[in-house]
Amino acid sequence: MSVYITSTGRFLPGPPITVDEVESILGAVHDKPSSLRVQIQKANKIQTRHYAIDEHQQTTHSNTDMAAKAAEECLDRAYIGREKVGMLAVASTQGDLPAPGMASMVQAELELPEVEILTTHGICSSSIMALKAAWNSMRLDEHDAALVVSSELASRLLKKQRYEAATTSTFATKRIDFSTEFLRWMLSDGAGALLLQNKPAPKGLSLRIDWIRAFSHAHALPTCMSVGSAGRTEDKRTWQDYNTYAEAEKDGALLLRQDVRLLENLMRMGVDGYLRLVEEGVSNPNNVDHFLCHYSSHHFRNKILNLLDKAGVGIPEEKWWTNLYSRGNTGSASLFIMLDEFLRTDEVTVKEGESVLCFVPESGRFNTTYLHLTVVSQ
Amino acid sequence: MKNGEIKIESDEKLISEEHSEDAGLNPHAQVCLQHLLRVWLGFERDLAKVPLLRRIDLGTYTAEDHQLFLLNIRQQVIEGSRWITRTASSFDRNHAEIRSTVISHAVDEHRDYEMLEKDFVASGGQLDDILNMERNIGSEALHGFLMHKSSQPNPIDLLGAMWIIEGLGEKMATSWAERIQELTGLGEDSTRFMTYHGHNDSEHMERFYQTLDSVCTSENAIQRIVKTAKVVARLYRLQLEELEHGGE
Repeated sequence: MSVYITSTGRFLPGPPITVDEVESILGAVHDKPSSLRVQIQKANKIQTRHYAIDEHQQTTHSNTDMAAKAAEECLDRAYIGREKVGMLAVASTQGDLPAPGMASMVQAELELPEVEILTTHGICSSSIMALKAAWNSMRLDEHDAALVVSSELASRLLKKQRYEAATTSTFATKRIDFSTEFLRWMLSDGAGALLLQNKPAPKGLSLRIDWIRAFSHAHALPTCMSVGSAGRTEDKRTWQDYNTYAEAEKDGALLLRQDVRLLENLMRMGVDGYLRLVEEGVSNPNNVDHFLCHYSSHHFRNKILNLLDKAGVGIPEEKWWTNLYSRGNTGSASLFIMLDEFLRTDEVTVKEGESVLCFVPESGRFNTTYLHLTVVSQ
Repeated sequence: MKNGEIKIESDEKLISEEHSEDAGLNPHAQVCLQHLLRVWLGFERDLAKVPLLRRIDLGTYTAEDHQLFLLNIRQQVIEGSRWITRTASSFDRNHAEIRSTVISHAVDEHRDYEMLEKDFVASGGQLDDILNMERNIGSEALHGFLMHKSSQPNPIDLLGAMWIIEGLGEKMATSWAERIQELTGLGEDSTRFMTYHGHNDSEHMERFYQTLDSVCTSENAIQRIVKTAKVVARLYRLQLEELEHGGE
């Protein structure tokens, strides 16, 4: 059975925050401006982003709120009533509560009665995991419609108080702790939602899901992005192994970390998965009309793209599209926020019959995910 | 691919910028390159599982690790020039072009091991130790396979071997050398063998493409080149896995 994305929605909290305003929202740690901010922002090229905290670092929207708002917009745009939704799949790096799963909370907020729920846990690729599970349930004909929502509230992890409290952490003791600051100037908040149905929407364009594939390389590569350990190789404790949570925080075990040195593996494994799909005949590079990538092309702008061109499987730059620079890197929500705008923006013409290849790599422990869509209308 | 560069030869006179621009590969060579890329990426990823190399990733690599690495890699570097010259002599007159390429490559590298010995001493090792080091178990297997392959008539499959070995040379130069100095406190003179391989990479890459384009013109050629790349990747990893077993 074919399954279609028939409606999309998104929620971006507050006004767009410019590069120079970012530190006034997240706060300067010990009132000292970061020496790494400008350098990191220059590298990620994100111009504006949104935060669900205010300039006093107080939460303005919970993660559940944002997810529900994106879902409401998606359902309001749909040509079916919400009672048709049989499944709710929700993805986030960290819900508001460690337990229960975030889908329960979002369901309550949306007042969706007696739906099947699924919460996926991971980082950027968790939205693709949720989408795949919902797609499979639809393919088994268990539901007529499924709602897939992804939401991220990273700023709560990135606010100055987190760093100020980590008094014995690597952040406090090293002169420069790049791995702890890197994501602070990268990630921001937002939510996206997709409605899946077993037939295209009666009006406008729908996206048929052709295939979803994912390859994880955690068996070989070390952890690259994480929360929950103090970031010292010899220290195996996780945040739950300290006597108190206060001690874990003090030691920096609750800080978000990215081992930037390992990041290049993500691009490599992304290319490997892409070549694997080409080799298996699943993906045909000549038939890709639009390429939506969670990472922007400048991250790949090195020899590997030249190699792909040389091997006859490169995707021309004009087919790449992203809204990362204006909406920020919202982790797992990024692709849904991207798809929502892709169908509406004037920047790109989307026509019936065109194919859309999406790529969401997760640096956590190197999971690379791929989604192929075809633009259809009823 | 930053770390997937191939060094085929370094005679810059043979390479002109104009020649290197947009030299498209034939369709067989393109498919071969797709497969070779995957073999390389899998090899590179699996290197992260080799204990000694994992310590580079985790930041716990020591000067002793570096000595052990150099100690074990020397035999392969010495034998490398032997299989490369054997390869050259196995090409007949219909393969004169590739033979020239291989010969100049061998000339370039046949005394690289001397640089490696100096690195070892600069890392705190005793010259006698490295001079007396035997091939480890993986080096034996790798050397045996490469000498066998290079003795076959017109061994174009060895392009797959070069892809892996030269790619690793490039990886050492761009990813490992500086990091090793940072982690161990050793000076630049301890990683000259590694950094040396980073030079002239775009020219080497172009030369590799040209050779691939000229010899990879059938399904059979793809299969041979890719299979050899896979075997060499596996045996090279075996050699690195055996580093800490002291050749026993």
